[in-house]
Amino acid sequence: MAEYFGTAVEDIFNTMEERFLSEGTLDVDVTIGYNISGEGGGNWKVTIKEGTLKVEDVDGEVTDCTAILNANAETFVGVTLGKLDAGEAFSSGNIKVDGDLTVLVAVLPKAFKPFKPVIKASAIVESVEERFRPEKAEGVDIKIGYDLSGDGGGQWTVVVKDQTCTLKEVLDDDCTVIMRMEAQVFVDLNQGKLDGGTAFSSGQVKVDGDIGAAGQSASLFEKYVAEGAAEEEGEELISLKCVPSINQRYATGPTMGKWFDGLKEKKFFASKCPQCGRTLVPPREICAQCRVRCNEFVEIGPDATVTLIDVVYYASPDPLTGKIRETPYTALFMVLDGVSRDESFAHDLNPKDIDRIKPGMKVRPVWAEKRTGSYKDLLYFEIAD
Amino acid sequence: MAKKNRNVGIIGIGQTEYSSHKEHQNQAEMVNEAVRYALEDANITLDDIDCVVHGNMELFEMVFQPDMWHSLGSGAYGKDQFRITTGGTTGASLVCAADNLVASGMYDVVMAIGMEKLQEGHTTGGITNMADPLWFRHLQTGALTATTATMMMEEFGEERAKKAAMKYRILMDKHACLNPRAHRRFGLEYDQADDLMNTSPQLVGELRLIHMCSQSDGACVMILASEKKAKKMCKTPVWIRDHITVHREETFNNFGIEMPEMTHHYAARKLFERNGIKDPVEYFDVFEMYDPSAWWGLDWAREFLLLKDDEHIKLLEDGEFDLDGKLPINPSGGVTASNPIGATAMLRPAEAAMQLRGDAGPQQIKKKVKHALASGFGGTLWSVLMMLEKDLDWQEVENG
Amino acid sequence: MKRVAVCAVAQYKCDSNIWQKRFQGMLLDVLEDIQKQTGMHFSEEGGVRSIVSASDDVFDARTISDNGMTDVLGAHYREEEKMAQESLNALGYAMSIILSGHEDVVYVAGHCKESQGESRNVCTNLSYDPFYGRAMGLDYTNVAALQARAYMEKSGLTEEQMAKVVVRARQWAEKNPYANATEQVELGDVMYSPMLCDPIRTMHAYPVSDGAVVMLLASEERAHEFTDNPVWLTGFGSCMDSYFLGDRDLASNFALKNAAERAYKMAGVKDAKKEIDLVEVMDCYAYQQPMWLEGLGLCGDGEGAKFIDEEGPAKYNVNLSGGMLAGNPIMTSGLYRMAEAVLQLKGDAGERQAADVNRAIAQSTTGGAGQFHTVVVLEK
Repeated sequence: MAEYFGTAVEDIFNTMEERFLSEGTLDVDVTIGYNISGEGGGNWKVTIKEGTLKVEDVDGEVTDCTAILNANAETFVGVTLGKLDAGEAFSSGNIKVDGDLTVLVAVLPKAFKPFKPVIKASAIVESVEERFRPEKAEGVDIKIGYDLSGDGGGQWTVVVKDQTCTLKEVLDDDCTVIMRMEAQVFVDLNQGKLDGGTAFSSGQVKVDGDIGAAGQSASLFEKYVAEGAAEEEGEELISLKCVPSINQRYATGPTMGKWFDGLKEKKFFASKCPQCGRTLVPPREICAQCRVRCNEFVEIGPDATVTLIDVVYYASPDPLTGKIRETPYTALFMVLDGVSRDESFAHDLNPKDIDRIKPGMKVRPVWAEKRTGSYKDLLYFEIAD
Repeated sequence: MAKKNRNVGIIGIGQTEYSSHKEHQNQAEMVNEAVRYALEDANITLDDIDCVVHGNMELFEMVFQPDMWHSLGSGAYGKDQFRITTGGTTGASLVCAADNLVASGMYDVVMAIGMEKLQEGHTTGGITNMADPLWFRHLQTGALTATTATMMMEEFGEERAKKAAMKYRILMDKHACLNPRAHRRFGLEYDQADDLMNTSPQLVGELRLIHMCSQSDGACVMILASEKKAKKMCKTPVWIRDHITVHREETFNNFGIEMPEMTHHYAARKLFERNGIKDPVEYFDVFEMYDPSAWWGLDWAREFLLLKDDEHIKLLEDGEFDLDGKLPINPSGGVTASNPIGATAMLRPAEAAMQLRGDAGPQQIKKKVKHALASGFGGTLWSVLMMLEKDLDWQEVENG
Repeated sequence: MKRVAVCAVAQYKCDSNIWQKRFQGMLLDVLEDIQKQTGMHFSEEGGVRSIVSASDDVFDARTISDNGMTDVLGAHYREEEKMAQESLNALGYAMSIILSGHEDVVYVAGHCKESQGESRNVCTNLSYDPFYGRAMGLDYTNVAALQARAYMEKSGLTEEQMAKVVVRARQWAEKNPYANATEQVELGDVMYSPMLCDPIRTMHAYPVSDGAVVMLLASEERAHEFTDNPVWLTGFGSCMDSYFLGDRDLASNFALKNAAERAYKMAGVKDAKKEIDLVEVMDCYAYQQPMWLEGLGLCGDGEGAKFIDEEGPAKYNVNLSGGMLAGNPIMTSGLYRMAEAVLQLKGDAGERQAADVNRAIAQSTTGGAGQFHTVVVLEK
């Protein structure tokens, strides 16, 4: 099985059940496809529906999902482990997403605890030579055998002699001591999740030969630390999370006040420049071009002609509420009826018209039922058929 | 413009690496790193600095008067200090300010510091907070818009426009890959263009993720000195010839039936006029442009260089913006590669000055570089344009 | 060095709650006042092409808040730089724009609406590092209280002397049409006003204030186009102190002494005690008036308290505007200080006009407990 950064692609999918956070997904109904190419890759379909999870290993390319993530195995594992920058992988095209990108950004962090790499018994044994402490091995001459059964198991002999340490991938017959256990028990012992005494007493670990040598062997090696964990524990880098906020009381002033007052009556007002005749929408107290006050208001619209269309796919959190808007949505630049030719007005389009909208089309405003004189009074524009 | 009171030279440049991960430093420490590099580059100490000019956006990191805290690393203790912020243009405004402060005779040596630690706040939210709180804020998504892409596709045809924007993007990445300080270095190749054009995630319309600038942490510092001091302290000072700043009204209301002259065009026209520059493509040897996206970068080349129709696209297609072309654009990799906002517009004259000195490193332009142009962008299409010179030999223009 | 002229000033009347106006609207009013006074215009030939604004994004609750000011500032297709610092620094920068030859007419505009946010202390708390100072709850008021205690220790400043400063500030404020707190008070009102942050009492602190100021600067050659009675900007200096309070001697006036020394040197002032006729200091809290006067060199080190009893403030025409104690917004105080000094030098200070004023200074401060100071010297 191909591994990247010490982790196989399937490890990530196999741990999804245990990492799933059902309370975070009560209002979610999505399917996410994964087409992972390259050695160790494969195809998976993950369904998250109202707090439940289904992970399927499927044959052939996944299609027909809310979102489908395409990447090679190395990129996928690297990004999952945080070894590769997700943003950069997206930007450079190493990860491609078909369908609704928002799902990945908004749903996944709520649905799963972060993936932690699975530590393998072999990785621990294979690092003994690096972890060997010659200064503790003066006069020591022992052979420690490991006989690990089950998933990820194997047999090894660690030879300590003349203050050197060698690892052999066989179990020698003449070992000073042989320790027999499930591979997972071995991992848990080395991770400090299981106490040695308890494991021995409960029979999870069996020791053949010199029990004293088994006890002594512990001091001959540095503690095993998983890759990546060392730096985090070594340096005290604290990231402080907080949301500073100060309640505000914004004034509209008389000019914007006129605009909001008009919205209540389903009317648009522009201020008109006495010098160049330009109409300003929403009204401003001064014409920036002529630098003169605009005290005259004219009613304009309410219909408009579209000049430019922006279809927005990127889900940006609202800075005030933190909520992520639904995408895609459409922002229109338009010229309201009766305004000067250089003055555009921007607002949203009714989502139902997103496939039909074209520059030059006439649009009309759709108003909120209850209007209070705020931006919420105007819902969006729609095609005026 | 009246005659400059005295000439001003750039004598030191310091930059951190730009990256999305600077958890190992706090803000003041990051500033300090760039300050130390700049002092080393100028071969001077803090004692030689008379005044510090500092800039970043308060609401990006949510720190009020951050220069107070940053003084731990900026070296401002015991010195005069100014703090200037003008959005994306901040870095350029700081250099203009340092130039004015030295030229005025009030200070001999001024250190300009631009910084941003964008990972400590929410950048798109921060930019959205620019908009009027009562009306526009609910409609805006940061600085993202595809209006330029749409208009370019209209003007040059969809295929040619998309290809050109992607060629520009890949060219910028090729430059970034040479620059050891650049944040994003993808290693893109031109044969990926068609694939990226169609598969890179769409942000807004044809503005795709690959086209857009990064969000980076980093600091940039430039030290400026009077002609007399610069010549004494530095073997290769770079001279600031002139600069112009052009702001624009509050709202993006310029997508009506008639389009006004763009600020970038206005800035270039005025600046070149008063300095007697007839053909900017011919005159300048390098152009460091604040290009927030590949679409804008390519479109704005036409505005800044006063080109007509598809001249800018032809120059790109013919390789004239490459490092060995007629007018290399952004040897640094530009803003799509590195974007610590309060510093971003300072990276432009910083790179331009290194190119003029000839010690820009792997991205050094091979042919002789004597005249450089650097731009800053911010706000609602605000523009700063600056001319840098290797030698003090330019001709003053009568009543320029 | 060439001289820079201050041609005219215009102030918005400060108030604690200008709820009905946007800060844009406030600034536009004062800008029109300046245009009326001077005939200043924005045409490309001979008009203003360069503007220095002073405001703060946190108080404005808006990223790059000068973007919201462009229209009213007249900055469309013009140069505009935002001094994101106390406004007196905008003046120093504007001065350099003219002296450098870059432009010969510049106007400076500052605004701040303290009443917009729920609490100015929450704003200033954000000035402290997020890990320690902010968590400690430091803000400009409680940090000032630490400094007040240190200064009282050093100079022997008493409750009565602080009350005297406040009573006098209100007396002058009453004569100033632009001041905020004009209600007359007696010593006892101040001395027994509720404790705000020991030893600072409510009446020792400046009231929440909204305001805006504009002034027009020009080169010596062009000043006559806008006024026949210019005031000359001859000295400018500023200085930064340490950030951590524990690194500072809070009663030492380190930054102010340096800032003053630099401004005096530029202006050729050798002995401030003899050469200064009028002083405007940014006294956010009562203890700061004697302390800043000491830092400006108008009395000896540690003698600020005695200076109050010796009527030093009257002798040097200190804060005839009523000062910061009468209420200006924190980010715009320096320009209000300047405005009063300019009016006095022009002879336009109305009821407050002092006699024989030839040279004046204006001072402002930013940061907790005066971490940063700015001093400007003005002459007739």
